Amino acid sequence: MEEPTTFERHVYKNASVYHYMKISLDLENGKRSFSDAQFKQLIISALKELYGEVGAAFPFDLLKFDPSSLKAILRVYNKGLVKLWSALTLLGSYQNEACAFRVIQVSPFLLALSGNSRELQFGESLTS
Amino acid sequence: MSVFMDLNIVNSHDKNKLTSIIETAAHLGYSTVAINYVIEPQKKKQEIPKPHSVSDIFEKFPMVQGKSTPIKVLNRLTIVASDASHFRPTNDYKLFDLVAVYPKTEKLFHAACMTFDVDIICIAVGERQPFHFKRAPVNGAIDRGVFFDISYTAAIRDSSMRRYTIANATCLMEVCKGKNIIISSGAEKSLEMRGPYDIANLGLVFGLSEGDAKAAVSTNCRSVLLHGETRATASGVVYTMKKPHTLEEQIEDKPASKKAKTETA
Repeated sequence: MEEPTTFERHVYKNASVYHYMKISLDLENGKRSFSDAQFKQLIISALKELYGEVGAAFPFDLLKFDPSSLKAILRVYNKGLVKLWSALTLLGSYQNEACAFRVIQVSPFLLALSGNSRELQFGESLTS
Repeated sequence: MSVFMDLNIVNSHDKNKLTSIIETAAHLGYSTVAINYVIEPQKKKQEIPKPHSVSDIFEKFPMVQGKSTPIKVLNRLTIVASDASHFRPTNDYKLFDLVAVYPKTEKLFHAACMTFDVDIICIAVGERQPFHFKRAPVNGAIDRGVFFDISYTAAIRDSSMRRYTIANATCLMEVCKGKNIIISSGAEKSLEMRGPYDIANLGLVFGLSEGDAKAAVSTNCRSVLLHGETRATASGVVYTMKKPHTLEEQIEDKPASKKAKTETA
């Protein structure tokens, strides 16, 4: 008889120094045009409001920004993830207009952001 | 894995507003929301509003994102108590799934923790908590299974309120050590809602540990619902319901009621 396949389990601890966040911005009066610089400035101002100058100086990168859907991918050091995320959560307005950051995905691997299992659409045959 | 709940959506007379908030909640991944009726008793005798039937709001409840079940909507009553006479257990309270009290004085806070038959005690978020949290009443509340509710919408609206919310929350965490906390929205607009994982992260800012922060939007909320059920029934063991008229209905009803129990249990 053949031996059962043995599995090897790999656990990566602190495999990445970064976390990647996929976010989108919801505005009260629908879409408006943003440049990538404005978008980053908005996030920095949110950080500054909650954590002051030290928070505003925290390094993070706007890797990708899609001005038509206002979706973006951020890269941030693991240490600053909680700070950046909470600053995004508590941002409530932009130029006196109500807005909200929706965090779509957070992952230590950039590749994971290429697909979202929560948005999978199943065919009729699978769901029924 | 436990589902996410938001037990505080402010009731509004504008039905469209309410539907848009509940739709947003479903989209963000909340499986249960509670519509909050706030009353501030002025006179000695205050009318308690009757909750609207939740089936009036939607023909068909929106589906929860990532799940194939529709969202569950409950009713919650919050009594803003500044005097001991404001909280009187009447049968009117039984119409609500959850009863919360927002004590304005230290004496009432003590009474709410130790004796009041409530599920939730609200913590001030729009002003500085006018008294210190003492260990004895807080521990008493934890022993009785009463939960403390922090709502985060005030923190989104205004920077000084944000300061108060964080200050009051951290003060409470010092005393209760992260136990028996729920974090709810208190949203009046759909843009004031935040996703459950955002709130779990926000819990870290309030001084909770990672596990406690996630429990504050999931398992603790479930405990609140179960506590609410025990209030309406005799310790959750025996409960009465109207006897169905026909035999057929009776047969149909029984498994349904059992199912409802195992679902929430």
